[in-house]
Amino acid sequence: MINQVVQDEVPVAGDLPRVRGRAIVVTSGKGGVGKTTTTANLGTALAALGASVVLVDADVGLRNLDIVLGLEARVRHHVLDVLEGLVTLDDALVTDKRVPKLRLLAAAQTREKDDVDTVAFRDLIGTLRDRFDYVLIDCPAGIEKGFVNAIAGADEAIVVCTPEVAAVRDADRVVGLLGDDRKVELIVNRLRPALVRKGKMLSVEDVNDILHLPLLGVIADAPDVIVSTNRGQPVALDPASEVGESYRAIARRITGQDRAAPEVPREKTFFGKLFGGRS
Amino acid sequence: MSARRIVLTSGKGGVGKTTTTANLGAALAKSGKRVVLVDADIGLRNLDLVLGVEKRIVFDLVEVVEGRCQLRQALIKDKRLENLSILPAAQTRDKTAISELQMAEVIQQLAALCDYVLIDCPAGIEHGFRNAIAGAAEAIVVTTPEVSAIRDADRVIGKLQERGLPVRLIINRIRPEMVRSGDMLGVDDVTEILSAELLGIVPDDEEVIDTTNRGEPIALIAESRLGAIYAKIARRLEGELVPFTVLGAPSFFERLFRKAG
Repeated sequence: MINQVVQDEVPVAGDLPRVRGRAIVVTSGKGGVGKTTTTANLGTALAALGASVVLVDADVGLRNLDIVLGLEARVRHHVLDVLEGLVTLDDALVTDKRVPKLRLLAAAQTREKDDVDTVAFRDLIGTLRDRFDYVLIDCPAGIEKGFVNAIAGADEAIVVCTPEVAAVRDADRVVGLLGDDRKVELIVNRLRPALVRKGKMLSVEDVNDILHLPLLGVIADAPDVIVSTNRGQPVALDPASEVGESYRAIARRITGQDRAAPEVPREKTFFGKLFGGRS
Repeated sequence: MSARRIVLTSGKGGVGKTTTTANLGAALAKSGKRVVLVDADIGLRNLDLVLGVEKRIVFDLVEVVEGRCQLRQALIKDKRLENLSILPAAQTRDKTAISELQMAEVIQQLAALCDYVLIDCPAGIEHGFRNAIAGAAEAIVVTTPEVSAIRDADRVIGKLQERGLPVRLIINRIRPEMVRSGDMLGVDDVTEILSAELLGIVPDDEEVIDTTNRGEPIALIAESRLGAIYAKIARRLEGELVPFTVLGAPSFFERLFRKAG
């Protein structure tokens, strides 16, 4: 609740003592459902709202958050360098020039998840919470050591799930492993309303009949996400993108600025397509 | 006779390892080969769902390793293809429940029973990955034409080559129209970056979402476009020289001015 009040007042930089930020892990169990894309876009959207945000890539050995943000050429140091005392935290943080309140802490690419000490990683997230309003942690796929590290310091979780049986089963397993001490919310990603209507894809209700989680948002499947990911330009920065707007709406829901129930993307009708509006 | 032992891996999750394992297995079995599919994703198993055998699991890989059942008892025979069996992973255990050596022994035993053992590797490069490659003699790397998938595939290929495993590549979910518009990497771009031998090119097809949810591999559906593609990949595995399918309907002008070849 305290967090809620602070978010409503939009934090200001300064020397005033501040309430600790929120540490949110973005996880899924199954790979390739959109964790990294979600982390990048929510971080971008939150920072665009004026919050200070740090994105932490916990996928040691298979990092990708730097690519999706288009910051790969500017990464000099990574989490393990910080944990091993080779550089300071500030040396390792990369500032996003498009959204200056956004920082990236990259993962090591040539090391292993077993090299990361879980307690040290948890403490690092704690340090980041003292400095940022939001710490978003991009979790690796699976439920091995990398998952354990990624969730260790997080007091909240966003479970990303696509409307597919395999993804729902894996998400269900992850929700069990996240335990009861964390706030856990759901983002249903890559929904194709036309396939749902034809009965060829699970609906949001089908997914949540199994997972029973508070719904934070629903993102439609759109080719512009593939393009933006390859180019390192999060869609949340594109004012014309509908998917970008969905991410911005989720960001407003996270800060408490928007309390309405999430909108489920609808199928575009022929006339909707013709006139460019929503059906 | 001992079977070919092939691990299907990728680094990145969600690129289609499980779907490829199921369909390639089905295509090989259809051509008369005896095939066993092994789900190495302990704790997050899905191969059983994709094959529609989830309700028929009695024993699993971990129980085999722990000596709680015979290997043959844990194998589930596909009802559509009698040559095809699956060894499911445990769902409520984790990847450290078995060691690389134990995994290699199970794969060795399976190899005595069939022509092909296909191992469905979990995402990542942790313990589960090391287990999955432990018993394999060859590797198929599945990737999608996306920068992040290719970066992960590159990392995995390095690890496979360190182990001396020959690597071949399947490029999955390619969208020819996006390649043409410059919004997606093409086959040549991907093979150039990864410099691995190309085994197959599979187009993005929304039917796969549905067939996967229903537990019916698309390779079993007569006259499906992807079924024909998986059949060709199976023939290439057998050493046949099969030309690659030219993907996608050519544009109006392409049809007018040149014949696709």
